[in-house]
Amino acid sequence: MDLSALWTSLKVVSLATALSGTAGIGVAYLLAMRHFPGRGLLQAFTALPLTLPPTVLGYYLLVALGRGSALGQWVEATFKTALVFTWQGAAVAAAVPSLPLVVAAARAAFEEVDVQLLEAAQMDGAGAWQQFVWVLFPLAHRGILAGVTLGFARALGDFGTTLMVAGNIPGRTQTLPIALYDAVQAGRWDLATWLAVLLTGVAVSVLLAVSRLGTRLV
Amino acid sequence: MVRALGLSLALAVLLSGPASSGPVGQGLLVAAAADLRYAFEEMGDAFHRAAGVPVTFSFGSSGQLAFQVEHGAPFDLLFSANEAFVWRLAERGFVVPDSVQLYAVGRIVLWVRGESVLPVQQGLALLVDSRVRYVAMANPEHAPYGEAARQALARSGVLGRVRGKLVYGENVGSALQLVQSGNADVGIVALSLALAPPVSSVGRFWLVPDRLHDPIRQGAGVVARSPRQGEAYRFLRFVNGPQGRPIMRRYGFVLSGEGTSR
Repeated sequence: MDLSALWTSLKVVSLATALSGTAGIGVAYLLAMRHFPGRGLLQAFTALPLTLPPTVLGYYLLVALGRGSALGQWVEATFKTALVFTWQGAAVAAAVPSLPLVVAAARAAFEEVDVQLLEAAQMDGAGAWQQFVWVLFPLAHRGILAGVTLGFARALGDFGTTLMVAGNIPGRTQTLPIALYDAVQAGRWDLATWLAVLLTGVAVSVLLAVSRLGTRLV
Repeated sequence: MVRALGLSLALAVLLSGPASSGPVGQGLLVAAAADLRYAFEEMGDAFHRAAGVPVTFSFGSSGQLAFQVEHGAPFDLLFSANEAFVWRLAERGFVVPDSVQLYAVGRIVLWVRGESVLPVQQGLALLVDSRVRYVAMANPEHAPYGEAARQALARSGVLGRVRGKLVYGENVGSALQLVQSGNADVGIVALSLALAPPVSSVGRFWLVPDRLHDPIRQGAGVVARSPRQGEAYRFLRFVNGPQGRPIMRRYGFVLSGEGTSR
């Protein structure tokens, strides 16, 4: 049971990091490099998950993605499985509160890139995508990596949002933080301690690996 | 960085393989109120032995579990601490109306840790004692055991003097945890939890007379969307049948006509 929670957590946090990383970099690029109507609104909305309590965020997501909602029914019809109360749903739940962290770090990294370099690339005939891949991203990668790492850490520790959207189902959606909560509720302090050590171990080893990767990339 | 992202995405896809083959497998998935934890872990084992069907439990607060059933949680059965929640779900088609039944009437106790010097046998009057600084109970706004605790305090006339000492847990399990961890001096919790071996070995309790609160009528029902309704009915009959009742009685869940053991 303990190891199934570790397995669930690894799956959930991998997908959540991929989701918040991809979406976060995209949003950060738009906020840093583009001017368009509604930019301020987009900025406010992506920061919103930081200000809302996790359970409130979970409530919104459950209502928006639940099997009774239009979006939920579309997902179910398209993928033949509901999103809520699955590990994929848990990943979406964990990705949402991570998103603002990725956006904030990546946006700052994009803004620090010298505009003249981008203009030079443009004069040499590089399109927006080529500028992004060959100039902007390589120059901003350290900030982006920091943001995605923060997002990973936030997703790994997520409790309230995940519990609301995915429930506490052992073997399916019970992540390490939820298993830990369940063990405490059951008065199983030994198991709780063991799970806390496991969760800390996963967090520290991934963060260490990322910082190694970061120094090698410089 | 792109590589790292791609890698994590690939990992997620790779890992999605065994998603459906968790311990849940072909067994039943039962949503159960927090007060049932110990009794139902025993019940699940007994049912597995008798019927060959494994049962996985998702324990939580009755309100949250009902909300999750409404939004499509894949539970086969719901055992609520409040039968009103189950009836409300049945009226709106989320629970099979014919399946709704009473499976327990809950009782509340005053609970202190074993090393506490507080004379718990004094009953509710103890709570006004100046040595009692915090009293933990479930949130009376939504938790059935919290509502019963509030009624008992009001009917015994101590609510006014105790109100400032009350701390609320999300459910009766978290209320007990507040006392077990030493953060509250006394808890008003479920008899079923106080009688469970892991809890009874570390504390003492006093049974609150049932005339001091409305009966905590706990209801269960089969979830309408469940693909395993046959097995769900079997588990429901098992709990209320000759094999399940003795387990329930041992944890203090007495039905009318069974007589109180305490």
